[in-house]
Amino acid sequence: MEHIKIQDLSFSYSTSNGKQSLQDVSLSIKKGEYVVLCGRSGSGKTTLLRHLKPPLTPHGKKSGKICFNGTLLENVSAHDQAAKIGYVMQDPDDQIVTDKVWHELAFGLESLGCDQKTMRARVAEMACYFGIQDWFHRDVAHLSGGQKQLLNLASVMAMQPEVLILDEPTAQLDPIAASDFLNTVRKINTELGTTVIITEHRLEDVFPYADRAVVMDGGRVIADGVPRSIGKLLYEQKNPMFSAMPTPVRVFYGTGSVGECPLTVREGRTWLSASLPEPPAIVEKPSTNTDEDLSQVALSLRDVWFRYEKKAPDVLRGVNAQVPTGSLYAIVGGNGVGKSTMLKAICGICRPYRGKIKVFGKAINKYKSADLFRVCIAMLPQDPKSLLSQKTVAEELAEMTSDKARIAEIAEICRITELLESHPYDLSGGEQQRAALAKVLLTEPKLLLLDEPTKGMDSFFKESFANILTQLKARGITVVMVSHDVEFCARYADLVSMFFDGQVLTTDAPKRFFGNNSFYTTAANRMSRHLFRNAVTAEDIVELYKQNKGADQ
Amino acid sequence: MTQDAFSKYHPAINILFFVGAIGSCVMIQHPAYLLAGVLTSGMYYLLLHGRSGWKMIGALVPLFLFLAAINPLFNTRGETVLFWILGRPYTLEALLYGVSVASVFVVMMLWLGCYNKVLTGDKFTCLFGNLIPSLSLLLVMVFRLVPNLIRKTRQISGARKAIGKGAGSGASLKNKLTAGMTVLGVLTSWALEGSVVTGDSMRARGYGTARRSSFTIYRMTAADWGMLCILLILLGTVIGFAIGGSMTATFVPKRSIAPIGGTNLLGFAAYCGYLLIPSALHIKETIRWNISKYRI
Repeated sequence: MEHIKIQDLSFSYSTSNGKQSLQDVSLSIKKGEYVVLCGRSGSGKTTLLRHLKPPLTPHGKKSGKICFNGTLLENVSAHDQAAKIGYVMQDPDDQIVTDKVWHELAFGLESLGCDQKTMRARVAEMACYFGIQDWFHRDVAHLSGGQKQLLNLASVMAMQPEVLILDEPTAQLDPIAASDFLNTVRKINTELGTTVIITEHRLEDVFPYADRAVVMDGGRVIADGVPRSIGKLLYEQKNPMFSAMPTPVRVFYGTGSVGECPLTVREGRTWLSASLPEPPAIVEKPSTNTDEDLSQVALSLRDVWFRYEKKAPDVLRGVNAQVPTGSLYAIVGGNGVGKSTMLKAICGICRPYRGKIKVFGKAINKYKSADLFRVCIAMLPQDPKSLLSQKTVAEELAEMTSDKARIAEIAEICRITELLESHPYDLSGGEQQRAALAKVLLTEPKLLLLDEPTKGMDSFFKESFANILTQLKARGITVVMVSHDVEFCARYADLVSMFFDGQVLTTDAPKRFFGNNSFYTTAANRMSRHLFRNAVTAEDIVELYKQNKGADQ
Repeated sequence: MTQDAFSKYHPAINILFFVGAIGSCVMIQHPAYLLAGVLTSGMYYLLLHGRSGWKMIGALVPLFLFLAAINPLFNTRGETVLFWILGRPYTLEALLYGVSVASVFVVMMLWLGCYNKVLTGDKFTCLFGNLIPSLSLLLVMVFRLVPNLIRKTRQISGARKAIGKGAGSGASLKNKLTAGMTVLGVLTSWALEGSVVTGDSMRARGYGTARRSSFTIYRMTAADWGMLCILLILLGTVIGFAIGGSMTATFVPKRSIAPIGGTNLLGFAAYCGYLLIPSALHIKETIRWNISKYRI
């Protein structure tokens, strides 16, 4: 029997003037299935998921029906839907209600009015299963983002749901925490048989394990099938969603191959070895030396030390770095190693107790703060909401300058012209990011600092974001960005630095940087390093593959 | 987590002890009892806080002297005049009364200092969670909200500073005020946005579908019940003797202090025993720990 059956579901928000967010969606999901729902931002994924959880269902015009275990969802009792349908959202922090880890685990059970004995047993069980024992007594405020999201998952699982719905659960997490989280979800699915419905941007971590992938676009289901078949379908349709597929899939179809498509890096390696001679005739692309003048230094850090409190350990431990003018300089590294602190030190929010930071040849403490932040440095913070203070996007921009022409120009670059009259909080995450970026750019910085700019962006938006950065570079703006997003840095950065233990360790062009790493590198490099040198993106592999095939004939 | 033995008892036992200790020190002004209170509360305070506890003791001494000395300036009743000040008599009885009031104050401060260390926030909500579940949930959410807001405020002002919109050190008062108001505005809309998510998350986990129960990680064990009996017996004895009048003491206008001796000694012993419980448990556990370490 179907666990969840959706029939001809259509929905439009009451504020959307008849524009349908969901159109004739029909899906049936079997018990114990692992379904991944993909599609670009605004394709109706979240709206669909929220329809499966009655308290979260948005208001608007709805037609069609949803059945849960054969009963209409409206007729399922409040207690049953609360216990049996678990829902985890994107924001790790705001989902948490109480102040202690143990209390949060019990929150759902308390709401259902469970007795002490049952709660005690369930909470203990959950703490063990999710490895929470070590931080069971902690304050929620002291947890990392990954721990918080794991806690959200555990406190939903404590109610023993039959279905687990996850709405972009890893969007705010760093890659390591994200893959930990997704592994736990997979464990729940395989060990407990819980039905899982997940939306996710990181398809590389989800695709190989999902039973089914459903692709949505414009409120419709455009593809539905086993993950292996989805890549082919999207490739043939020339659907832009194809760019979100895992690297092995993109390489496979990019080279025009036919047959069984590889999904994981391991399968990708096997496939590459089988289809090319070892070693291949051409192992490296001729290095295209970009004749950019990298001698002019926009930013230099010399032996910078910083700690937050007198007795706290040092966060920056002698940072040395040189950023050439007009480059896109990316700093990668693990969580909490001090990358963001380094940006704060550059723009003077944190004052280092030793060392020198020079911006365009002048030490930052020699600048007057008004000069420093006008036409010199500006920083886009991790959370764009911290910059949005007005009622409309237009007012946001007007706060920075009264020059109408410039506002129009910047709005055009950031692609927010049609959003100017909206309230900033009505925008999606990616749109908020663009609005905040526009605001930052209106200070006319020559040096732009970005803190985790690609967090929570889908693959299409990443591309248009990269285009914006390229345009800025063309105008001579130097961009320094801190990121976890290895794939993005490999593709678009000019220089990549590894940050570890409070220091910048190595700096190199992305091809050499990621080509030399074997763990901390892109999926494309891991897939092809046994055959090719310094191939770090799917495009690199495709090109080398084609050259080799061409050389054979 | 403190390694204090008394803190490991059920929160109900903890709070019962402090209510008894603070209540009796306010009610009983007999000098011997006050002295016992000062010594036992001081001892427990030092056991809990270690070396840093002396700071508090050091601050309380001048306060004690000040409170004791000031009373006769306002209260001139009493038989034995020590000297005249500003044309008013400064009497021994009033001074003694001042000493007793100051001691009550000192004992209260010390017990409250211990209370803070023993009854942490989660113990408090556990105690009242069963009585008023919705209120305790509210409290818990406030505990979480406050540090959250502080963190966000810092984030916002940092972000605004980095686009040149912060109030620098040289800014005028007006600029500082406007900058502060903007930060507050951003904070409000951000927090409201967050609370929508929190609300969703609560409803998704069945908030409001049934009468809430309350989960605690504390349980009444046999040792808790035993300790409850001991506390009640000792407290009962003290109250009994207090009603019997063996602990009365008045200072003004005439000194009259009930003698300690005979059967009254039993009441005093019960009082000292009661107040010594937490310190005794703490010391006992330290000794036992050291012995078992020695045996290894």
